[in-house]
Formats: sequence, structure tokens, C-alpha cells
Amino acid sequence: MSQKNSDDEKRKSSQNEENALWSIVGYLLSGLIIWGGIGWGLDRWLGTTYLVLAGMLLGAGASIYLVWLRFGRD
Amino acid sequence: MGVRLAADEGFKPPSTADFNLPPVFGDNPFTTKPVFLAFLSVILISTFFILSARKASIVPSKLQFAGESVYGFVRNDLARDVIGHEFMRFVPYLFTLFTFILTNNLFGIIPFLQFPTMSRVSFPYVLALFTFVIFHYVAIKHKGLMPYLKEIMFMPGVPKPVYVLLTPIEVATYFIVRPLTLSLRLFANMFAGHLLLLVFILGGEHLLQGVVGLKLVSPFAFAFGIALTFFEFMVQCLQAYIFTLLTALYIAGALADEH
Amino acid sequence: MEGTLNLVGYGLSAIGPAIATGMIFAAYISGVARQPEARSVLQPIAFLGFALAEALALFGLVLAFVL
Repeated sequence: MSQKNSDDEKRKSSQNEENALWSIVGYLLSGLIIWGGIGWGLDRWLGTTYLVLAGMLLGAGASIYLVWLRFGRD
Repeated sequence: MGVRLAADEGFKPPSTADFNLPPVFGDNPFTTKPVFLAFLSVILISTFFILSARKASIVPSKLQFAGESVYGFVRNDLARDVIGHEFMRFVPYLFTLFTFILTNNLFGIIPFLQFPTMSRVSFPYVLALFTFVIFHYVAIKHKGLMPYLKEIMFMPGVPKPVYVLLTPIEVATYFIVRPLTLSLRLFANMFAGHLLLLVFILGGEHLLQGVVGLKLVSPFAFAFGIALTFFEFMVQCLQAYIFTLLTALYIAGALADEH
Repeated sequence: MEGTLNLVGYGLSAIGPAIATGMIFAAYISGVARQPEARSVLQPIAFLGFALAEALALFGLVLAFVL
């Protein structure tokens, strides 16, 4: 029984790792696209040029924070 | 206006236009080569597995062994190891997905067929749509609609104003980025691989028609093309595996309770 | 042949994060191989490092299309 449990544990942890890597990329990508997209839209609307960059930085920061919340915190 | 290389008779480098194949019958857009390849793959897969399972015996024949090892791989290594104790419900879908994608990818390097069906983006889109509907349906069935949405949108342990920043990202990840990256990863790999093979084979052929110095270089282009064909074989198997693995991971995430 | 210089720039900018990701996971794997019980300590660090490096790669990707 304990053999099965430790096998289960091992499988869970390596599966979590695979899952985590794919979702990290997904979070970063959507953070950049969503907030960068909002910045881009504001740029088009207000006629400025720097809001894309501001939005992308904000999105990257927010998604790294999200990654830390999901996977880095114990 | 771009720079043109090989000015004399104009070597036309392979481009995206090489993927827009004309219809086979008249101008009916539903009779292009990729459509026929998709049908052919269905026929091939079902014939292979019906033949391999028809005379199943305790001591398996070679055919039965081949069929069973593919099935065993999907069931044990993908479904059981990733999804856990409720995996049997999803084996049929995962198995169909894996064999369908694998066969269609391999069409890219099989002589005379030589066109990976998945390099037309609509095929991966539809497959990703199936996965998308299935994993959301499973999650809603398993957790209930409101708790599921709450789990997606609101990370526990965050000060309230930060949700303004994080909730759009979470929603976009679950509803847009996941199906999009799933399909685009498969599409881009097949597309780029086919384009790469075209560049080396067509380029080698073009060099062969040049002056003597160019003729001497052309075998290297062909040799590289052949080496890349084996590389493509690896990529094609890997992409079929990854698509199925990610589907299984998403289903596992839908079934998992709050972590 | 046609194309824009943006994509060349993106190709160049992807070299850095690629090497970084390789080094992060090389260190993570050799750390876990030497001391398997350190996995739970190393894993969040490796993932955060991966996220930071990957964010730069995706930055390049998006900027190649936006600029």
C-alpha cells in the first residue's frame, strides 16, 4: 500500500511540474497580450505612443506576480 | 519591395502560397488535398486497428502487438498517469486524438502524399475546439458553474484591488490563450517543418540547374533535406504527443479539486 | 525574399532567454539529482527564474509585431 502511495506522490509531483511549465508560459503570454492590448488601444485612442510599453510592462509584472502566487508560494 | 536573390532566372523561394492547394474537382473548395488526406487517415487508422484487434489472442501476432502497444501507450502513459483514477472515460477521446494527429502529421514525410494536413490551420483549430469544450464541460460538471468561475477568477490570498490586474489575465488564459496556443503550436510546427523541407529540396533542385560550381553544392542541400526529414519525423511524433498530453493535463486540471 | 528586420531582431533577442532557460533547468536538474529532498525548495525558485527569462522572450515576440 505504501509503495503505491509513494508512486502516486512521485507521479503527482512530476505531473505538477509539467503542468506548471505549460501554464507559466500561458499566463505570461496572456498577461502581455491583455494589458499590452489595452495599452495599444489607449494609444490609438489618445494618439500617444508610450502606453503600449507601459501596458506590456504592467502585464508582464502582473503575470509574474500571478506565477509567484500559483507556484512560488508555500 | 524585397530583395530578390538568384537574379538570373529567379529562384522563387517557397512561401505560404505553396500551402494553398487548388481544389481537385472543379472549384469546390471542399475537395482539396488536405481534406482527402484527413479522410484517408481515418480510413487507414480504422483499418489498421480493426485488423489488429480482429483476431485477438493471448499470444499476439505482430499486428496485434503493434496496435496494442499504441493503445497501451495512450492509456497508461498519457491517460492513467496524468488524469488519475477516473481516466477510463477519456481514453477513447485521447486515443482518437493521438492517432489522428500522428497519422496526419506523418503524411508530411510519406512519399507521394507529402503534405502534413495540420499545416492548414483550420484542422488544429477544430481539434483544439473539441478539447476546449470537453475540459470546460468536465470542469463545470465536476465543480458546478459558479464555483468553477470563482476558482478561475479569484486567486485566494490577494488584496482586493489587485484582482483588477489579475482577473483579466486568468480569464484570458483559460478561455483564449489555452485553446489558441494548443492549436497554433501544432500548426506552426507542421507549417515550418514543411516549409523547411521545401526550401532544401527545391533549392537543391534549383542549384542542380545552375553552373558547375552550383551543381557541386547541390548534393549537400539534398543531404541536408534528407537529414531534416528524419528530424521532422521526430517533431511530428512529438507534436502529436504534446497535443494529447496537454489535453490530458487540462482534463486533469478540470477534475482536480482546489489545490 | 521579403520580410521585415523586426523578425531578425526577434531572432537575436530570443538567444538570451533560450540560454537562460537552459542554464536554469540545468542547475535545477543537477541540484535535484544530487539532493532529491531539496526538490521542494528548488522548484519554486526554478519556476520563477523560468518565468522571468520567458517574460523577456515573450516581450521580444510581442514587440516584433507591435513596432
